[in-house]
Amino acid sequence: MTADDVRAIRVEAVESLLVEKGLVDSAVVDRIVEHYENNVGPLNGAKVVARAWTDPAFRERLLANGTKAVAELGFGGPEGSMIVAIENTPEVHNVVVCTLCSCYPWPVLGLPPTWYKSAEYRSRMVAEPRKLLGEMGLDVPATKKVRVWDSSAEARYLVVPERPAGTEALGAEELASLVSRDSMIGVAVAKEPTP
Amino acid sequence: MTEQAEQIPQATIEGDLEGPVSPPRDNGAIVFAAPWERRVFGIVLALCRDGRLPWEDFRQQLIAQIAADPDRPYWESWAAALEAVLSTAAALQRDEVDEREHTLLARPAGHDHRDDEHGHGHGHGHGHGH
Repeated sequence: MTADDVRAIRVEAVESLLVEKGLVDSAVVDRIVEHYENNVGPLNGAKVVARAWTDPAFRERLLANGTKAVAELGFGGPEGSMIVAIENTPEVHNVVVCTLCSCYPWPVLGLPPTWYKSAEYRSRMVAEPRKLLGEMGLDVPATKKVRVWDSSAEARYLVVPERPAGTEALGAEELASLVSRDSMIGVAVAKEPTP
Repeated sequence: MTEQAEQIPQATIEGDLEGPVSPPRDNGAIVFAAPWERRVFGIVLALCRDGRLPWEDFRQQLIAQIAADPDRPYWESWAAALEAVLSTAAALQRDEVDEREHTLLARPAGHDHRDDEHGHGHGHGHGHGH
């Protein structure tokens, strides 16, 4: 019996007793876990981006009104009331920061990573974005402009990364798997498909 | 379904899920390595959502459990915190859990892993109904 089996049985014992005492409903536990696994995380944003890559009309709606467009996919809530999508192009790379606190498009990206809230990121992304991006592993070509967006409660920015070349044949799910959280903050680009 | 999930006191819990005792994450999503980990996470949140367990009580216990054994894997501390907080609240005593654990261990082959630990992976046949 492995250590995991032992833990599993212990947890099952706790859960079965709580159910019998009427303190917990297993179906509710299922729903909560599924909620955290599926509804609260950057996979939401990745689905939005994949849709924008494949559906030009959706892309236009997304860029015109981010909040409304992501609601079409079922993402929203109080924290998502002011989502603004900005699109990377061959000429411009966008990156998001919240200089004052940690404003973030929660319904599409989940909780912000620790570094996003750090004083260093908040100040340096404004003062020397190209250098900081390089340190974070993204070298933006000199020919490309870097545009820094300051997120706030009025506008929580979501970067739509450029669609990588060679992805024409991929389906929505495969495309979404190329879109990382970091690429939607703008400190990375979308992943190349694995051949 | 969504409506029910939204009844979780999210302001409190979400805030703590990124604090010093926050769960392990990958690319922003909470990481579960084994099915029991997601289960014990969900049980705590279900108790909080129903108002049966104040999130702050659990959080303090989790902090204590992590401090008591910093090298213990995160979700084991989480499970220990749940048992401790239930015991303190007199909702569930440790000997009750011990007894149930023994009952579950005594299930016939096919319902536990005693006899087939080499034959099957983890997380199957626990009968959680999902």
